[in-house]
Amino acid sequence: MASTVDESVTTAPRREAELTGRGRPRGNPWRRPYAMEGFTWLYIIWSIVPIAIAVLFSFNKGASQATWQGFSTQWYVGNQVTSVLHNPGLHQAVIQTLVLAVVTTVICVPIGVGFAIGIDRWRTRTADGLNVVMIFSFVIPELLLAVALFFLVTQALTFIKLGTPAEVAGLVVWNISWPAIIVRARLVSIGRSYEEAACDLGASRLGAIRRVLVPLLMPAIFASAVLVFASTVDDFVIVEQLSSTSNTQPMSVLIYSNVHAGLTGPALNALATIMLFLSLVAALIGYVGYRWMSRGERTKGNVDALAGIAGI
Amino acid sequence: MSGGHIKLESLTKRFGDVTAVNEISVEIHAGEFFSLLGPSGCGKTTTLRMVAGFEPPSTGKIMLDGTDVGGWAPNRRNVNTVFQSYALFPFLTVAENVAFGMKYKSVPKFERNSRVAEALELVQLSGFEKRRPNQLSGGQQQRVALARALVLRPSVLLLDEPLGALDAKLRRTLQVELAALQKQVGITFLYVTHDQEEALTMSDRLAVMNHGRIAQLGTPEEVYNEPADAYVADFLGVSNLMDARVEPGGNGQGACRLRVGDFSLEAKAGQLDATGAVKVAIRPERVHLHPYEEGGVNCLPGMVERLVFLGSTTHIYVRLATGSALQALVRNEGNAVPYNQGTPVKVNLPAEALRVLPDPGVSVAEIRDEVLGDEPLDLTSAAPASS
Repeated sequence: MASTVDESVTTAPRREAELTGRGRPRGNPWRRPYAMEGFTWLYIIWSIVPIAIAVLFSFNKGASQATWQGFSTQWYVGNQVTSVLHNPGLHQAVIQTLVLAVVTTVICVPIGVGFAIGIDRWRTRTADGLNVVMIFSFVIPELLLAVALFFLVTQALTFIKLGTPAEVAGLVVWNISWPAIIVRARLVSIGRSYEEAACDLGASRLGAIRRVLVPLLMPAIFASAVLVFASTVDDFVIVEQLSSTSNTQPMSVLIYSNVHAGLTGPALNALATIMLFLSLVAALIGYVGYRWMSRGERTKGNVDALAGIAGI
Repeated sequence: MSGGHIKLESLTKRFGDVTAVNEISVEIHAGEFFSLLGPSGCGKTTTLRMVAGFEPPSTGKIMLDGTDVGGWAPNRRNVNTVFQSYALFPFLTVAENVAFGMKYKSVPKFERNSRVAEALELVQLSGFEKRRPNQLSGGQQQRVALARALVLRPSVLLLDEPLGALDAKLRRTLQVELAALQKQVGITFLYVTHDQEEALTMSDRLAVMNHGRIAQLGTPEEVYNEPADAYVADFLGVSNLMDARVEPGGNGQGACRLRVGDFSLEAKAGQLDATGAVKVAIRPERVHLHPYEEGGVNCLPGMVERLVFLGSTTHIYVRLATGSALQALVRNEGNAVPYNQGTPVKVNLPAEALRVLPDPGVSVAEIRDEVLGDEPLDLTSAAPASS
């Protein structure tokens, strides 16, 4: 140990001398990358500061969205008329967002997981084609899908009523790629040997899926559920097209239409803050849950596709 | 132990245009430790997977104790597998992993715990019941995989390179343990490996495979000492292979004369009635080196090219005057090897150790390439979509 330390001490000046010679890069190549760090911080400030200000003014005592008049929670609960709690429109928008997020997640994830297993485990040409379709929702404009769905439910599939049913249908279609792609990525990374082992030990195909594959997929299923939830909370384009009355407008649509109509005020900031909070909580739960569920595999040091996407 | 007799009859597996296993017929006796040995891509793992039930055979039969199980699902066969990757379920503890299969074998609940304890004791892992697989070392995981399969008391245990992921020293220890365990439980072991040392040390009998066929079948001694062809000779251990021609008019007394380059040699092993072009093989430990001044029967001049010290032995690479390279193995007995790089020597190839093998029609270099193995075939992706 001691000898290696000595060696590094004696060789360091020589290496420095070599590097400052002709044709060598000037300066210390191991210095901190100040320029890159600087740009990173600029970007973070640029993206976070406006949001922070919007959140801050939701706690303003006065009705101004520009002048700070002291701290208060009146726009959330205090104000008997315009607070999120007491204004029936705002209130309903929060509930509608939660309903859509929960229902969409509950419907979307099982279908997506089934899809992923189907595409991966029963390989046919059709399955390969469907796999490409899964990426469509990342490629086609959301508005295109929203308008198409609007015509579909108003002209052809009229039993799906505009409002919550149509919104859920649209959100499920739009978000099904999350579970399908994330679960499939995990299926690929875990391979077939666990299922084969289960069958070898006596389980049927379905038994192997239920007792071995689903537990192994659980982190991916959970993570995709969280992403579907968060993505539904954030969604605007589809729900805007497919909502009917103001009762079926979620937060995003309500904020947009009010701002457009010039009806601003800190209560809208409060609504937006709640929306942000829901997404953040979902992301946090997703992060913690995924880490916890996949804790048994941490030693392998393998980063699967989801971890790559989510930066976990 | 109940049964465990396997008979493969003209077993064939094709993946699209690739024939992975080609008309294999072999009989494995109950309670035998049988190895399939060969380089990657030779069809040994595919054979094992067909016996396990993960791949349906294209043609041929898999007779297990007299019944053709070729079309049966894996869970209906009384065979269990130890996977190369172990495939331990990461979300279950060691005990739960071992108990996994008993649910399907109608083992009464009260008996399961004692069976788990018994199996873990068998693989010397008592006290590890509550651990998770990721808290175990590679060797321990391998033992859990073994216990998980053995606890079901299969008639045949299939092992797919179970020691492949372990380091050399641990592998040696486990080789001995595994062979002893097999004798203890008396279950038929079908063992797949590319490691000739593993196959030689553990097996009762082994089959050397090449290109989906069995190149030679026999006991380790038979296959090592009397290889049927140049491929087997080179695959098992280091073998010196040379091109030679049989000279007509041998003395007819269990020997034949060979011409190797400009030199004439006498050989007393192998196919002594061969004619024309042949390959001749000799094990490095049978090659003797002498000072250049000495001479005698079956001595060729050569020059030391390289010395490789291996601890208990030294490998001496010699270039013969015929141009071909040879290895000699010298045991280290405390004295320094009296040769250096460039020392001219006489290489004595004793007639009893020189083995005449049929000429496969390819060069020595091509045989070497075959022995080193092709790239592993990705057989799953080559599988036809219709299956």
